[in-house]
Formats: sequence, structure tokens, C-alpha cells
Amino acid sequence: MLRKYLSSILLATALCTGTAYAGDVRFVVPPYSSETEPFFKEVERDFEAANPGINLVLEFTSWETLNQKLTTDIAAGSPPDLALIGTRSLTDYAAQGVAEPLDAHMTPAFKDVFIESFFSPSMIDGKLMGLPFAASARAMIVNTELFEKAGAKPPTTWDEFMGAARQISKLPGTYGFGLQGQGVEVDAYYFYALLSFGGRILKEDGMSALNSPEAIAAAQSYKQLIDDGATQPTPTSYGEAETFALFKQGKVGMVFTFPMLIPQIKKEAPNLKYEVLPIPVKTTSATYGITDTLMMFSGAKSKDEAWKVIEFLYQDKYRAAFDEREGLLPVTKAVAASDYYQKDPDMRAFTALLPVAHFAPLIPNFDQIADITVRALQRVYLGEETSEVALNRAATEIDVLRKK
Amino acid sequence: MSTALSHPPLLPLAGEGKVRGIFRMFRMSRAFWLILPGLLLTALVIGLPILILIWTAFHEVSRFGVLLSFNGFANFADVFADPLFYAALLRTIVWTAAVVLGTLLLSLPVALILNEDFAGRGFARLLILLPWSVSLTMTAVVWRWALNGQSGLFNHLLLQLGIIDTPIEWLGTAPLAFMVQIAIAILVSIPFTVTLLLGGLSSIAGDVYEAGAVDGATGWKSFRHITLPLLKPFVNIAIVLNVIYIFNSFPIIWVLTQGGPADGTDILVTYLYKLAFKFGQLGKASVVSLMMFAVLLVFTVVYAALQMRREET
Amino acid sequence: MGLFTRSRPIRSLLCWLLLAPLIALNLFPFAVMLSTALRPRDEIFINPQRWLPSRLAVENFSDMWTSVDYGTAVLNSLYVAVASVALVLLVGIPSAYALSRYDFRWKRKYQLFLLITQMVSPIVLALGLFRLFVWLGWIDSLDPVAIVVAAFNLAFSVMMLFNYFSTIPRDIEEAAWIDGASATASLIRIFLPLALPALSVTAMFTFVEVWNEFVITLTLVRSSEHFTLPLEVHALASNLYELKWHHIMAAVLVATLPVTALFMWLQRYLVGGMAAGAVK
Repeated sequence: MLRKYLSSILLATALCTGTAYAGDVRFVVPPYSSETEPFFKEVERDFEAANPGINLVLEFTSWETLNQKLTTDIAAGSPPDLALIGTRSLTDYAAQGVAEPLDAHMTPAFKDVFIESFFSPSMIDGKLMGLPFAASARAMIVNTELFEKAGAKPPTTWDEFMGAARQISKLPGTYGFGLQGQGVEVDAYYFYALLSFGGRILKEDGMSALNSPEAIAAAQSYKQLIDDGATQPTPTSYGEAETFALFKQGKVGMVFTFPMLIPQIKKEAPNLKYEVLPIPVKTTSATYGITDTLMMFSGAKSKDEAWKVIEFLYQDKYRAAFDEREGLLPVTKAVAASDYYQKDPDMRAFTALLPVAHFAPLIPNFDQIADITVRALQRVYLGEETSEVALNRAATEIDVLRKK
Repeated sequence: MSTALSHPPLLPLAGEGKVRGIFRMFRMSRAFWLILPGLLLTALVIGLPILILIWTAFHEVSRFGVLLSFNGFANFADVFADPLFYAALLRTIVWTAAVVLGTLLLSLPVALILNEDFAGRGFARLLILLPWSVSLTMTAVVWRWALNGQSGLFNHLLLQLGIIDTPIEWLGTAPLAFMVQIAIAILVSIPFTVTLLLGGLSSIAGDVYEAGAVDGATGWKSFRHITLPLLKPFVNIAIVLNVIYIFNSFPIIWVLTQGGPADGTDILVTYLYKLAFKFGQLGKASVVSLMMFAVLLVFTVVYAALQMRREET
Repeated sequence: MGLFTRSRPIRSLLCWLLLAPLIALNLFPFAVMLSTALRPRDEIFINPQRWLPSRLAVENFSDMWTSVDYGTAVLNSLYVAVASVALVLLVGIPSAYALSRYDFRWKRKYQLFLLITQMVSPIVLALGLFRLFVWLGWIDSLDPVAIVVAAFNLAFSVMMLFNYFSTIPRDIEEAAWIDGASATASLIRIFLPLALPALSVTAMFTFVEVWNEFVITLTLVRSSEHFTLPLEVHALASNLYELKWHHIMAAVLVATLPVTALFMWLQRYLVGGMAAGAVK
């Protein structure tokens, strides 16, 4: 009997073998919304039907745990074949030599599918390390009904924006501006103001520019809105989902967002009257954008099969479905030329901002830098520190990382 | 019936009775074979990771977990130079003390009430123990939604009851969020603690009270002089186990605030998890793991020593 | 030994009144789950909030079930729980038996060792565990999760079993030995049937613990096809831009109700079980 125990334990230990088989393509996907999983599952089904013998294994993980998962997978010596990542993380992977250059796989015809300019963020040392997968430039969405009620005019300048926010807040149970103060993109939400004030995320020399007068003034103007009661109370408990929910409820006049909110509004608040406008201008017409990249790992076990998945995924049919369902901007020419993006006024308003969009800088340790930035901003929003103190310290902390 | 004092401690360290029969000669080896599977399982699963952590702690580690070079105590120095570490440490102490104390103060009366004979006692006990059956992660997820400032049902309930007149943003500021998290942690720790204490109470034989009553000890007096001393070993066990569970408790804070806003609810475990799996600072994370392990080890040894002393007297 | 009064009806009322606030707080999350899981999508982020939806949106369950492949998560959770419970009993019974029946040199050391394993939490070892299983090349599978979870639950189970075993008079086994049964046979035929209540309580404990386990699974499991229920719910609640609370609460309900039902049925053994060492 005892021997049985022991042998079963030994057997269990002996059976520890890997789970990946040749012909499997492991693809890590962080979901954008609840549409993401169903979309990729359809792709999986269609792909496997069209390519018998290749098994597409989807691994969904949240954006928050994405880099954790990938780094640990790589550490485990079993990187996935493909992954969808924030372009800003690509440098980290490329620098560690785990990203596969894609130039050898690209055919001219396939290259022609893309809007050329989206390649540049993924070019590292002259090599293409990833393919543009999703792009979003942010804009302002306003609730026109609330503006009418408050007798305010949708703003174009930052001062008008501040005024309108205060004016709308005078309506009962309503807040002028939905300010996101919690979650992954608190920094992004601040960068709109920062860029509009003429500030930069990094200086020319690559050091943090958060301690610049523009950056401090931008944070100060958000804090001013909080103090004036022109934002929802306690923004630090509002992540993007909660902030957007306020807008869908018709409780805030203005939010900064990307096109993803539009399909959600149409589904959940079909009667809401809204308009898409550029980010209000302080000194500079600008917006913040984010691109996501599809990368292949150099340690991938089935590179050729993985490339088949890529080609399959970039067919117009799937690209159009993905962009429209997620509310993202097109990265391929055919989808950009489609009726949805050409005729739809909302989408055109977003696409019009692409030329002035600043994208996240491609620097290592971005996760940690974002964490430092978010902490400083939350301290400002909570009134624990002045924007000057908080941002100066954040800049110092970031510079330590930048010098590493 | 044995006296109430004879109940065994958590892991009794007492020896056994007389050696009997032909089993004397096999005793050693048989016992060894019997405990071997358990020993192997725990030694491998719990011992090996510790060795790995020690090894990692003294190396420079790349973001992707490759050990680069031996770097002595550099990771330790990094941790000790990090103000976030000290803040998390301090908060961990507050967190552990507040939750354990709160749990005990609430569990004791609840256990005493449940030990009474009253109509529907079984059902009441079931309702008290209910949170035990729900995963901490899911409890935290439910509370995160319930505590939503504008649309959460908790604010709605308090408004309905007239307890508050404007919605409260429970998770927006760190001090309040931390208090809410402590309250939730107390809530989910009560079932286990009550169960332990009930076990202790049920072991106090009725004749002890009868004897006490003869001597004039009833009500509060009987509680103070009979129940409490007899319950003490169970209270001690409850304190020790809760300190361990709470010190290590991760899901409540992680799901509700991830240590935010502005790192104001970070405790050591959330700090550790961010270091290890968000920022990829594996060397530093190993050091923090080891320090937490050392704290737990000291605690265990102190506890074991207490147990042994208690048995000798 | 009535703490309050000798009149049973008044005492009952008093007891219930005193327990009411805590009971209400315990039931509150269940009310939140039910109320939210049965709402139509556009009645989630509303203000003022209300408890009852305009209609019962039972389709939330099927929508959620298909959109995230929830059945797989249920099966994964079952697999890990059953495997872990089996392993804990398989390894825990001999240990507890040895502790309750034999005197051996390393007894105290073994007990101390078990105590230490009980004090260490998965989160402290998460990084080390991950690196261990990476080294073994055994990552992203449910089997290591079951083994690790079993190891972390062993000490508590051994303690519970030990407490029970100590209450079983050894005369019974000795009588069997005298009748010529081997020690192993008497263990299986005489001892274990007597210990059956203890075994089921211990099994239940472990089952609930494993069913609810989060940190180890989060660390060792990578792909969503191996997600257990807590991981799946966590993933649903970490969607960045849109939180479908009606789906999340439906998922929580599905994961919680069976275990809660099991727990309700078995909880009466808990108190007896933990105190078993004390009675007799």
C-alpha cells in the first residue's frame, strides 16, 4: 500500500512533460472588451478549418497581467509564438533579443496591406519587429444635450473647456468633465492635457519632462477642476470603465476617449446625444494615441505556422470585423477606405486627429515609468501633494530608471 | 469523560503511551514510511522554492528571469533603499493587527451566542459561516462592484436605510479604502474563527459550570472565571492562525485597489506581487519573499515554543 | 449556563437580534450577485440604483457561458479540486495515522515542519514556485497546480485527521490484530470506516479551499483554456474598457452556488470536527 503511494507520486513526477506540440501556434491575446474573446474564437475556428493540422491555441490574459505572463513565459523557456502587445513594450522585448524580426516573412503584397506610417513605431534598428495591430487616437466626446441644458458651447480651447466643465456641473447630479484617476491609463488621461499645454513626455535627451512648467500647469488645471467640483467626486476611484459608464449614464458632459466608446454607447445608451470633437487646445493642437503590435517571438516553436495565422488574421474580413467591433482605428488600407471609416462622422472625427497624435515613447521599463507617473498624479488628484512637488519627484524617479 | 482541559492543542507535541506488543520493533520504520509521502510532498513543493528564492536573491536577474551574475547583497540594499517597502511594511502591521483584533472581538461574542440553546441555532450558524464557502477573489470582486460610488448597491442600501444622504466613494481615497478592506477581511475571517471557538466551547463540559454555579459563579462571573480561561488555548490558536492568514492575504486588496490609489493601500504581499510579476524586478522580489518567510518562521518558532511550554506546565 | 435568560423564546429572539447585523452583511454579497446577474445590460450603471431589475435577464447566464467558454473553467476547477483532495487524503491519512498511533523520534520535528508549511503562504513562494516549475518544464498545466495546492493544504488536513484519529480507541484495532488481521488490513477494514466522518470533513475542507484557490493558479497557469473559476472571474473583472458586471456576477453565482450548497450541507460537521479531539 505504501509502495503504491510512493510509486504514484514518482509516476506523477515522471510524467511532467511539456504541453506544447509541434503544429500548435500559441497566441497570447489581451482582451480590449468583451468582444475580443468571441472575435478571436471565431478566427480560431475559421483558421483551423482552413488549415487542418495546425492547432491555434489562444491564451487570453488581461492587459494588466500581459507583460507578467510574457516575461514569465519567456523565462520558462516556452514563449508563445505570437502575442499582441502595447507597442511601447516592444523595445523591452527587442532589447532582450526575444522578438523575431519579420522582414524575412514579409512579401511585397502583404506589406501593401498596411498603412505605411504605422510601421515606424515597430522599426527597431532598421528591422521590423512587429506588425501594427490596433491604433487609437483619442478625442473628446461631449454630451450635446447637457451642453444645451447648461447653455454652454462645446469647447475648442482649454479655457473654454474649463469654463464649460464648471457650467455643466451646476446642473443637478451632473459633472462637467469625467476624469479618470484610477487604473492602467491614468497617465494617458493626463497626457491629453500635457500635450495640449505644449508639454512633452520625454525631453530631447530622453529624460522625463514631467517636471516642465507645462506639465505642472496641466496637472494643476485638472486639480483645479476637481477642486471646483467640475469633475465627478473622487476621480481616484474611477477607472476607464467607470468613467465611461458615467458618460453613458448621461451624468458627465465631456470625456476623453477613443472610438471604442461609440459602439458601447450605441448599444447601451442609444438615446444619448453626443458629438466627437478634438481635444481642446491650450497652446498646441495635439492628442495622445496608442498603438498595439502583433509580435512573433524568436523562441517560437512553429514560426511558419504562426506566420500563416498572421496572414489569415490580416484578411480584410477579419480586420474590418475587429476594428469595428472594438471601435479601433484601421491600420490597413482596405479597412481605412471602407464606408464605415469614410462616411461615419464619429469615426472621421477620430481619424482626423491621427496627424497630430503623439504616441507613447518607445523606451524600456515603460510599465514602471507609468506606475511612477500614475502614483504622482493620484497624489495630486487626492490633494496629498502639489503638482509641482509630485511631478518633480516623479521626474527624478523616472530619470533614475532612464539612466540605467 | 475526561476533563475539559485535556483537549489537544493544534498539533499536540505530546508523546504516546506505552509501547505495545510486537509492534515495538517495527514502530520506527513503519512510522517513517507512513509520514514519508507527506514529508516528500511538502518538502518538494515548499522547500525547493525557498532554495530557489535564496539563490535568486543573490543574483542580478534580467527582466525575463535569466540569472546574470552573483551580486551579493545588492538586491537587499535595493529593497532597503525603497521607501515603498517601508510604507508597505508599516501598513502590513496595521492591517494584520486591525483585522486579527477585529475578527477576534466579533467572533468571541458570536461564538458565545451560537453556543446558547435557541430556536433556529443550526440555521443561524449556517448563515454565520456562509462567507467561508465563497472564494476570497470572488468576494472581493462582488464587493468591488457593490462599493462602486455612483451605481454600487452598498451605497444604495445605505441611502435606502437613511444611514447616509450622499453616495460615498469607498475606494477613491486610500485611508477609507484601507478601512473598507480591513472590514471585509474581518468579515471573511469570522466564520473560521467562530468555528474554532465553538469547538472550544463545546468541549467545556456542562458539569464545570454546574460546579461553578454551586460556588456562586453565574453569568458574567462564570464567563470570566470559567469560560474564558478554558477557551484561552483556542483563542490563542485563533490569533496565531489569523495572523498568518491575514499577513499573507492577497486577493482582497489586489482585486479592490491593487494597492492604490497612490500606493496608499499597498501591503507587503501586493508590493511583492507587483515587483515580481509587474515590474520584473525578480531579484528584489526574491529578497522580499525571503524576508516575509523569515518573519513567518520566527513567528512559527515562537508559537511552537509557547505550545511546548504550555504543555510542560 | 444560559448567558441571558432562562426563557427560551426570549433568548431565541435576543440571539437572533444580536446576530442579525452580521448575518445581513453575510447575505449582502449574495443579494448583490443575484440582483446584478439578472439585470439587462442597460440597467447596470444606473443612478439612482435599484435592487429589482425591470425584467429577469436570465439570458445573461447563457451569454456569459458561451462568450467566455465557462464550461471549460468549471471542468478545470473540478479537475484540480478532485485531484488535490485525492492527493491530500492519500498522503495525509498515513501521516495523521502515524502521528496518532506511533511514537517516533522525529515526531516533534515533523509536527513543527508541518506547522511551518502551514504558515507559509503561496504568495510568499509564488516566484520560487514559478521558477521551480519552469525548471521542471511543467508550466501551464493543471496537474502542478493540484499538487502544489495539495501540499499547502496538507498540514491543516493532517491536523484535523489527527484530532479525529486520536478519538478512535485503539482497542478496536488491537482487537482486530488479535483476531489475526494484519495491520494494513485492520487499517483499511476497521480504522478507516470509523474515520469516515473525519475523512469526509477533511475532504470537504480541502475541496472548498482548492475550489477557491487563486494565487497559485494565477502564477502557474498561463492560457485561458486552463483557467479555473476564480481566474476566469478575475479575468472578466479586469477587462480594461468595459466591465460587464451582469456577466461577472452571473459567473460568480455559477461558481459559488454549488460549493455554497455543499458547504451548507456539510458545515455541521465542522464544529464537531475541529473539537473532536476534545470530546471523550
